[in-house]
Amino acid sequence: MNIRDLLGKQRLYFDGGMGTLLQSAGLKAGELPEMWNLTHAEDVKKIHLDYFNAGSNVVTTNTFGANSLKFDNLEEIIAAAVKNAKDAAKQCGREDCFVAFDVGPLGKMLEPLGDMSFERAVEIFSQSISLGAKHGADLIIIETMNDSYETKAAVIAAKESCDLPIFVSNVFDENKKLMTGADPKAMIAMLEGLRVDAIGMNCSLGPKQMLSVAEEYMKYSSLPVIVQPNAGMPRKENGKTVFDVGAEEFSDYAVQMAEIGVSVLGGCCGTTPEYIKKVVEKTKDIPYKAPESKYITMVSSYTHAVEIGRVPVLIGERINPTGKAKFKQALRDKNIAYIINEGVRQQEKGVHILDVNVGLPEIDEDEMLVTATKELQSVLDLPLQLDSVKASSLQKAMRIYNGKPLINSVNGKQESMDAILPLVKKYGGTLIALTIDENGIPDTAEGRCEIAEKIVNECKKYGIEKKDIIVDPLAMTVSSDDQSGKVTLESVRLIKQKLGLKTSLGVSNISFGLPDRENINALFTALAFQMGLDCAIMNPYSAAMMRSYHTYLALSGNDKNCLGYIDYAQKNKTETVTVTADNKVQEQSDVSSLQRAIIKGIKSDAYSQAKLSLAEKDALCVINDEIVPALDTVGKQFEEKKMYLPSLLMSAEAASKAFEAVKEAMPEGKSESKGKIILATVKGDIHDIGKNIVKTLLENYGYDVIDLGKDVEPETVLERAKTENIKLVGLSALMTTTTEAMAETVRLINENLPATKTVVGGAVLTKEFAEMIGASHYAKDAMETVRYAEDIFC
Amino acid sequence: MSESLIFISKNGDETEPNKKEAFRYMGYKSSEKNDVIEELYSDCLAELKKAASYKAVYREVPISLEAGSVDFGFCKIENANLYKNLSGCSSAVIFAATLGAGADRLIMRYSKISPAEGMICDCIASSAIEVWCDEVNEKAVGEKTAKPRFSPGYGGVSLTYQKDILAFLDAERKLGITLNDSMMMSPKKSVTAFIGIKG
Repeated sequence: MNIRDLLGKQRLYFDGGMGTLLQSAGLKAGELPEMWNLTHAEDVKKIHLDYFNAGSNVVTTNTFGANSLKFDNLEEIIAAAVKNAKDAAKQCGREDCFVAFDVGPLGKMLEPLGDMSFERAVEIFSQSISLGAKHGADLIIIETMNDSYETKAAVIAAKESCDLPIFVSNVFDENKKLMTGADPKAMIAMLEGLRVDAIGMNCSLGPKQMLSVAEEYMKYSSLPVIVQPNAGMPRKENGKTVFDVGAEEFSDYAVQMAEIGVSVLGGCCGTTPEYIKKVVEKTKDIPYKAPESKYITMVSSYTHAVEIGRVPVLIGERINPTGKAKFKQALRDKNIAYIINEGVRQQEKGVHILDVNVGLPEIDEDEMLVTATKELQSVLDLPLQLDSVKASSLQKAMRIYNGKPLINSVNGKQESMDAILPLVKKYGGTLIALTIDENGIPDTAEGRCEIAEKIVNECKKYGIEKKDIIVDPLAMTVSSDDQSGKVTLESVRLIKQKLGLKTSLGVSNISFGLPDRENINALFTALAFQMGLDCAIMNPYSAAMMRSYHTYLALSGNDKNCLGYIDYAQKNKTETVTVTADNKVQEQSDVSSLQRAIIKGIKSDAYSQAKLSLAEKDALCVINDEIVPALDTVGKQFEEKKMYLPSLLMSAEAASKAFEAVKEAMPEGKSESKGKIILATVKGDIHDIGKNIVKTLLENYGYDVIDLGKDVEPETVLERAKTENIKLVGLSALMTTTTEAMAETVRLINENLPATKTVVGGAVLTKEFAEMIGASHYAKDAMETVRYAEDIFC
Repeated sequence: MSESLIFISKNGDETEPNKKEAFRYMGYKSSEKNDVIEELYSDCLAELKKAASYKAVYREVPISLEAGSVDFGFCKIENANLYKNLSGCSSAVIFAATLGAGADRLIMRYSKISPAEGMICDCIASSAIEVWCDEVNEKAVGEKTAKPRFSPGYGGVSLTYQKDILAFLDAERKLGITLNDSMMMSPKKSVTAFIGIKG
């Protein structure tokens, strides 16, 4: 019998806790429970058997922490663990007994919050899971996961290592969130996208708190839901550990879980065969509710899901180099800060999803899309729409994306469907499907509807449901075909009505080639929404567009008591006031100088003042007569302790703004660099604030900084210093434990590149330590690093 | 002595970081302030209140002191400074506290956009975790007489003991705290400590 034959057709019971039972059998604190599979096989087997006899259909192997980070004899342990559980199943004798291979978290935080890479996590999970499958487990249970990204790594590992059913269970806290922020909808969206077999929750604080999370799962999940709570919190009583929720109370909650439709019941920490027996007794006669398919289109980030199909959704289009010279330059320079800024600004304007397109012929798009995705998802919680014509770029970005992305795009060409649909099947995602095929874009709504239908049929072959297909019937400019607006609007209506599919449009295209495009775009978008358009890929910086959007919501019954509109209108009013305030500042600064703006650290002022200065003198004069002296003034004030670090940094940021104005005024390629410097936080250290401060100041003083980031291997620093022919390397360390890595990095550089200087700094360092490890210089703060660089290069 | 594992939590807007301390972390020695920085401080503080999620677990255990070493039951530490700190105590509160991953992300976000704001936010968060630890400390100690809290990393006590504390308190599951190979905690704004209880 296969568990897939029963799952979703009847209620299934998992087992309860393992750790507490092993402890009462004699497991000592600090002893690794997984070792007991070998040393105390009979005890482990007995626990499994007790659970089967209590009514569990599935027991989980004693492999929660069985991974190569903790064990050298991994196969031996896993083989024994699976055998213990299988022996118990055989001994129990019932036909509906299964063995789930247990996969717990690695105990390491993934990047960017921690130092373990996503691929390394996939690799470690894969080792364990393939062994579990090899030795005969019936299914995989990935459980107690409190980070969405690690959950995804484990699921990908399971999909790549075996064909067994995959159950996934997360830990939600009292705010109904994972430790790293995801809410239930976000997890449901991502895991349904990854096509696992059952999803749910375990551990946490107790059954009572879990009920509301379970209700949320029942509302949004189309998959069977699994719930395994703790027996509350542990305490010591007469030297024994007991939990504050007893079997009676616990099983009462299980009744409520069964009644709302939870498919799989079990327990976690503190629960015993007695708990499971009570759960089975009390719930076995409650009629089973099979999971219902929900037709909800969702995409997600690492914190939340965005539902498509209720209120119109805005997708910001600004992360796209098309027609933007500055953006193209930023891509060539690998200027990630520029991309992040575009993301932050669009989020502030109120978009729900960010389109990410970094395609440029002269750059490596695969690498850039992955980098942009990683960087954006490290600091922004909006779901991303991965946008590329290259399947390889999409594949790599979809893999490391922390959630369920929108995919832009597939079209009706067989070649496109063959390339993109398998990716969605494997990694999950909602598709933007363009109504174009080998014969081009049909002139009629009916023709576009036919292509959409063709894509839907092809998707079926991959198990991609209609809810994950959003059709874009392609807005073509009205300037070249005056019927284009009409046909597009009609297509939106027809696709929705005839095929029941969601729709999206890149609305800005409609006005291409016309003057005052905002007028056309804003009204077109409102008309399209009225026809049923679900998403608009648009420019959120356009006031007309945002006005039109908020007005539409108020008029279409999508804005309760018009609160959204009122809020928008008030904020807009405040913006007008702010503009006046800005003017005032500028008036004042008319009498002040660029120098004063930099010294005071007022960024907007520094930029506009630089522009004014540039109208009067050439770029080099502005740098040498104004920016550099201003920086020197603040540098001196800082050194004399008349100014503190935050102010120094604000001045540096203001100076960068002034430089920006200068660069714009300079003919391309004429900006001169004083020299290249490598900066890195050493291996093992993940603190980078100090290093970033040094970077900002060095850039201000005209140096090209190659920032290798944090937790950098000594060899990486050496390699880069070699290939780029670097004269100065700056290293930072903040922890006593990582000064060793700093010593090693300095040693490598001294040995291999005797002409290259090293400057070191960081909270725990001293001049004496720097000398001892052979560093060329110790800098006590960022300014001193600048002074040292000036000595080396000038 | 109740040996229960106690879990407490608070939303980010329910604790007020100590502004004076935050400015001290930024390097300010006097009270002279600057409008630009004050404004950034308020902005960062408002964002941190949205991003942070205060959590802590603690548990009191009997301890025994013997010839320069302290036995906590779940681990034994030989260190003169810790021994001195805990002398005269028959039990200790073991605790772990954190601001959560949201605070790390916020600091990361600011740092990528503006180093000044990144630094200010980092300093506010450092002050916030201290205030939170004081609060947990007070709650855990109650009416009893306690010693100043002592964290691994102080006075030559190896950071590796963080591992024992986190395991003992089940802090990975309860708080989401993990350690990297260099024994640094993630979320970064996290603290583990011993608090000696007199008597």
